[in-house]
Amino acid sequence: MGDYEHLIVERHGPVGWLINNRPDALNAMNAKMRDEFADAWIELDRDPEVRVIVHTGAGRAFQTGVDVAEIASDGVGMQRYRESVEQWDLHFTSWHQQVWKPVITAVNGICCGGGFHWVADADIVIAASDAQFFDPHVSIGQVVSIEAIGLIRKMPAEAVMRMAFVGRHERMSAQRAYELGMISQVVDPPERLREEAQALAEKIAKNSPAAMAATKRALWGALETGLTEACRAGAGHLVSMWGHPDQEEGPRAFAEKRDAEWVPLEGTSESE
Amino acid sequence: MTVAFGSRPYTRLRVEQHGPVGWLIFDRPAAANAMDAAMFDELERAWVELEAEPSVRVIVNTGEGRSFQTGVDVVQMARDQDALREHSRRTREARLRFTAWHCDVWKPVIAAVNGTCAGGGLHFVADADIVIAASDATFVDPHVSVGQVSAYEGIALARKSPMEPILRMALVGRHERIDAARAYRLGIISQVVDPPERLREEAQALAEKIAKNSPAAMAATKRALWGALETGLTEACRAGAGHLVSMWGHPDQEEGPRAFAEQRDAQWAAIEGRQPGIGAHQGG
Repeated sequence: MGDYEHLIVERHGPVGWLINNRPDALNAMNAKMRDEFADAWIELDRDPEVRVIVHTGAGRAFQTGVDVAEIASDGVGMQRYRESVEQWDLHFTSWHQQVWKPVITAVNGICCGGGFHWVADADIVIAASDAQFFDPHVSIGQVVSIEAIGLIRKMPAEAVMRMAFVGRHERMSAQRAYELGMISQVVDPPERLREEAQALAEKIAKNSPAAMAATKRALWGALETGLTEACRAGAGHLVSMWGHPDQEEGPRAFAEKRDAEWVPLEGTSESE
Repeated sequence: MTVAFGSRPYTRLRVEQHGPVGWLIFDRPAAANAMDAAMFDELERAWVELEAEPSVRVIVNTGEGRSFQTGVDVVQMARDQDALREHSRRTREARLRFTAWHCDVWKPVIAAVNGTCAGGGLHFVADADIVIAASDATFVDPHVSVGQVSAYEGIALARKSPMEPILRMALVGRHERIDAARAYRLGIISQVVDPPERLREEAQALAEKIAKNSPAAMAATKRALWGALETGLTEACRAGAGHLVSMWGHPDQEEGPRAFAEQRDAQWAAIEGRQPGIGAHQGG
């Protein structure tokens, strides 16, 4: 781990950064990058110094999905991925990798097609004011499925359906994404995206890592089942913090008007 | 006309009736309306009494003072070990009894958010049918900033509004607030009242509009739509078909079109008192 060809992994204070780094290919995901994602999420999740993770892209695109050029030229095509998809054995987003630290996706420039995986699977999404969202799958004879299934549970469905069916013939602006609640912040000028992402991540890093991990489990659980069952499961996550030192430290630090000293989160990846 | 309400006096709430509208008002303004043991008890009693009173057609829930509701009063609860134990047990077992949804209220419930709604206060936003807010209202979830988990409130809100802002609120904690204007654009609330002083007046006006509709039809509608949060789409539609058909042959289905044709207000059948045990969500 730690040595990547198509990703950059950095640490700035308590914030781990995962940067898509194939700018010449608009950060399209080839097979190598796909494998590197699996490792990079685990590396950042296991690092106790990292409290929050920001995911962004280098260059004028955030992510543009599977590398179609590779698919078209390597003689294997999408068949390379058949087994992992059929077996539902994906490992390229933080959700796939069961990262329970907060994840912020910071969308620079173009986010299209498979790029929506990282919008759907992040906890928080912010975007540069010149970011653009579109889903060209059906325009090149591909099915829109997993990304949109996630999005449709997290935001108004009509907007997701429209993107799925209009394909490459229309783009959604960052402003519209903000209005719909797909993202929570538009950064203008766009050059300030990383600075704002770091500032937001540092706010989040002030909160209890253990409480945030349990909160994340409870809220993502809401997408899995009915409301009542999700609340029952949520009760388990709620109670999991009872007796944890952070529950004493939090109110004490608040009363004493100082930053809380939280217990570091143990590495939890893939331990479910 | 204001009518004091209830079998016994309330000390932490004001429970009133104004025409067809029942009002449930958090009334601990000196403690930002935080819920202590007495308020937990009174909330359950108030929802049950308002649901049982046939002349109450719609319920409005708001707060006295600068805050709407700020969640559990941890200090007060810690002084009452029995109450704390009971609340902990209910939390653990997912058997809470302090919102309309917990208490199987099938009358329409409007939350009218005055001022700050923080942490556990979001329960009453998540579990209301309709939410309006004063223009100076703010929403914040400080749980993770004091080492607490945010669960129930966000679970329900994530199913009723765009999820990303709910996750952001849960994870940023006390370091950021959502204002009423943003909550309106996100569809978490459907009306911003400005100036804020007009909140109760607007809530009463909205409630009176709703009170003109068939109580039985609204109760069945409420069951059908909250049921949509419980299952997949097809299963929810099947269950919804049952709620739809439950009104066939009901007198309101004759009276409604007749009143419309005769250009008069409809005389709806009074809704039957609460039917204990019918709620889908507290079955265990």
